[in-house]
Formats: sequence, structure tokens, C-alpha cells
Amino acid sequence: MKKAITAIIALVLIALAAYGYMRAAQHHHGTTEVNPKEIIYEHLGDAYGWEIPFAHDVRIPLPIIAKADDGWHCFMSCRVTGGETYEGLRINHGEQYNGKLVQVHADGSVSRPLDLSITKNVAAIVVCALLVIAMVFSVRNWYRKHGMKAPRRGTALLELVVDYVYTDTIRPILGKHSPKYAPYLLTVFFFILTMNLMGLMVIFPGGANLTGNLAVTMVLAVITFFVINLSGTREYWKEILWPDVPLGLKCPVPMMPFIEILGMFTKPVALMVRLFANMMGGHMVVLVLMLLIFIFSGMFGAAVGGATTVFSLAFALFMLALDTLVSFIQAYVFTILSTIFISMALVEPHGHEA
Amino acid sequence: MELFTPEFGLVFWMFVAFLCLYCILAKWAWPFIIRSMEERADLIDKGVAYAQESKAQLDNAKAQAESLLAEARQQQADILRDAAKMRNQIIEDARGEAVVEAKKVSDAALVSIEQAKKESEKQIRREVGEIALQIAEKVLRKNVSSDQAQRELVDKYLNEVETKN
Repeated sequence: MKKAITAIIALVLIALAAYGYMRAAQHHHGTTEVNPKEIIYEHLGDAYGWEIPFAHDVRIPLPIIAKADDGWHCFMSCRVTGGETYEGLRINHGEQYNGKLVQVHADGSVSRPLDLSITKNVAAIVVCALLVIAMVFSVRNWYRKHGMKAPRRGTALLELVVDYVYTDTIRPILGKHSPKYAPYLLTVFFFILTMNLMGLMVIFPGGANLTGNLAVTMVLAVITFFVINLSGTREYWKEILWPDVPLGLKCPVPMMPFIEILGMFTKPVALMVRLFANMMGGHMVVLVLMLLIFIFSGMFGAAVGGATTVFSLAFALFMLALDTLVSFIQAYVFTILSTIFISMALVEPHGHEA
Repeated sequence: MELFTPEFGLVFWMFVAFLCLYCILAKWAWPFIIRSMEERADLIDKGVAYAQESKAQLDNAKAQAESLLAEARQQQADILRDAAKMRNQIIEDARGEAVVEAKKVSDAALVSIEQAKKESEKQIRREVGEIALQIAEKVLRKNVSSDQAQRELVDKYLNEVETKN
């Protein structure tokens, strides 16, 4: 009974949304041209200023920090997001540097300054980092205050996840080395998980497509690369540079060492691309589903657009639920693979096989 | 394609943010959390082991108490049996002693009776002798030359009388 009522309410809401859309589209017929590619890249990409819900043009201003030829510039992004030029800087639109801050020279040409602006993504990274700190410290403070008592509610959930990642994943793989690497791996896990989940939230504190941005995953992968290779044992380097293969494979032409060195780089690159592609793909599918409404309505009229609303909403909801799962899985996969790569770098000399 | 070309600013800030996050958490949070979690796991393991041990001890103690109780019952029964035996023994002994005592008393009585009897016999004999002598003196005053010879004669006669009796 309860389920039936919920289903009916949901259907009514979707029908209302469809009808509302149809009316609105009829009203504004022909006034808006939809450019799906631009919309998708705008939503997946970075921006100076953080859009607030339901108001496309109202943005929370964020500081712009840039070093142009004439020195450092530092001002709020609201001075340039309207298309103005401020202190010789403006946001470019066009083929080159689209949507980026550029320096306008006297002859009208533009160049990219050293741009360290607190963009939407940077602000979202800070928000996520603070969230992670708040979450982790809530667990820590629980232990500090309550000692050995089992945590309750949210803290218990966090502790469960920490326990799952540490006791069931890191410790069995790394063994006696785990206390040394666990802080890094746990930080990576929680940071990625938070960024993934915050990216799925459409409105203000979330909505930034962080882990679906190659820069973010690249930093994580590069740090993991250094952690792996800086903790490599003598045996690890020996296996890379002088592996246990017939002499012909490594002596005149260092074929195996070459493959092994390539392997050093493919591991973090795989980490980087996996996380990036999974998260960006999820976002993109939801965006495309939403855009289908506008595309169909532009092609076949408002009624078809209204009908598409129902399907698009249903599928988008399903995709978002799936992305929630993927958020956890990808954070976990990144962590467990980093753990495995580190454990492979910590290899001890084993007995010589006959 | 903006998505595929990492922006330097974002890389820079991401790196800084991650390092700060890592330093803060690695210094103040994770080691403490991991240690606490492991300590609690140990505590729980220890608690379970302790509970099992104490249960085993309790079972053991129960068995011990039962065996002690059985032993005590056995001892009680033994003591009771010994006591009964001792009582019977004492009664038996007392009875024996009483018999002996009674026998002694009766023997003594018999001895004294015998003595009294002998005494009285002597007395009687003497008196009878006296009387007989007096009678004989009176009867045979002239025939009797000496006192001594007379007495021996009377004794002889009396002995004859006694042996006849």
C-alpha cells in the first residue's frame, strides 16, 4: 500500500514535470537554441565562479590569482565573468583558450597568464578536503572522548568504512608495512570518495566534476607513482633493470628492462585514466539524458519533449544511483590497486627458482 | 578539449590541497584511529577469551565443588559409622568391665564370707571345745591327769567329727 502511494506520487511528480516543461517550452518556443556540446563541456569543466542552483547567470564570485607579464593580479571573478576586461585580463571565448582567463595585449592578441585562480574546481577541492578532515576527525574525536566504546550513527558508518579499507584491504596486502602506508592510502580513499560523491550533488557545495577531471586524477596518480617507486626495494629495482630472464632478452637490446620501465608508468596512468573515465562517463551520461529532452523538443515539438522528460528523469535517476555505487567502487579500486602496487614494490628477495 | 588537458592551476592547487590533507590526517588522525581500532579489536578478542576462560573455570569449579561435596558426604558417612562402631565398642567394653567388676565384688564377698565362715567355725570349734572340756571335766574329773593331754584328745575327737561331716 505504502509502496503504491509512493509510486503514484512519483508518477504524478514526473507527469507534472513533463507538463510544466511542455508549457514552458511552448511559451519560449524558438527563443533558445540548444548547443549540447557546449552545455556538456560547461558542466564538466571548470569555471571562474560557482553557479548557484536555478539561476544560470548568478555565480558565487571566487578569487582570481594570475601572474601576467606585468605582475600578479588578484581580484574577485565577478569583475570578469560578465565578459569585461579587468586589469588587462578577461575570460576568452573562441577557439583558443575558450572559457579561460587570458591577458589582452595592446595589439589585441591574447596569451595565457600563469593562472593560479581559485576556480570552481579548486574551491570544490578545498570543500572536499575540509569535509574529509571533518569526517576523519569526528572518528578520531570519538575515540579520544569515548575510548573503547563503539561509535554510533555517522561515526559508526565512517569507522566501518575505515575498518573495511584498513583491516580488510590494506593490512592483508601490506602486512607489517601497513602502518607506514595506511595514512596515505586511507587519505586517498576518503578524498576520492568525497570528491566522487560531492560531484554527484548538483547544487552548490557539490556539483564540481573533480574526479572526472584529468588534472585531479593525474595529481593523485603522480603521487602514487612516487610513493611506489620511492619505497621500492633493491629487489624491485633489480627486477626492473635486470630481470630474471634469458640473457638474450636483456643484454644486447634491453627489451625486458624496457618493458618493465614502461610498466612502471602504465600502472599509475591506468589508475589515472580509470578513475577519470568512470566518473566523467557517469556525469556525461546523466547530462546527455537531460539534454535529450531539449534536443527532442527542438526536433519534434514540446509534446515529445515533455514525454521524453519522463524517460530521461527515470534513466538519469538510475544513472545517478549507479554513479553512487561507482563512486565507492572507483575510490576503492584506486586504493586497493595503489596498495597492491606498493606491496609489489616492497618485494623481498625470494629463493632462486630452480 | 579542456577535459583532457590538465590545467596547471588546478594541478597546483590539487597537489597543495592533497599534501595539506595528507599531512594533517597522517599526523593527527589516522595513526590514532588505527591504533584505537586495533586496541579495541584486541580488547574484544581478550574479552571473548576471558569470558571463555572464566566459563571453563566456572564449569571446573562446579565439578570441583561437586567432588568436594561427595567427598564430604563420604567422610560424614565414615565418621558416623566410626562413631557407631566406637559407641558399640564402648558399650561392649563397659559391659565387660562391669562383669569383671561384679565378679570381683562377688569374689571378694565370697572370700569374706568364707573367712567369716572359717572364723565362725573356729569360734564354734573353740566354744564347742570349751563346752566339751567343761562337760568332760565335770564328767571325768578324776581320770584326767593333765590338762594338755585332755585337750589333744578333745581335738582328735573333734577332727573326727569334722571329717565325718
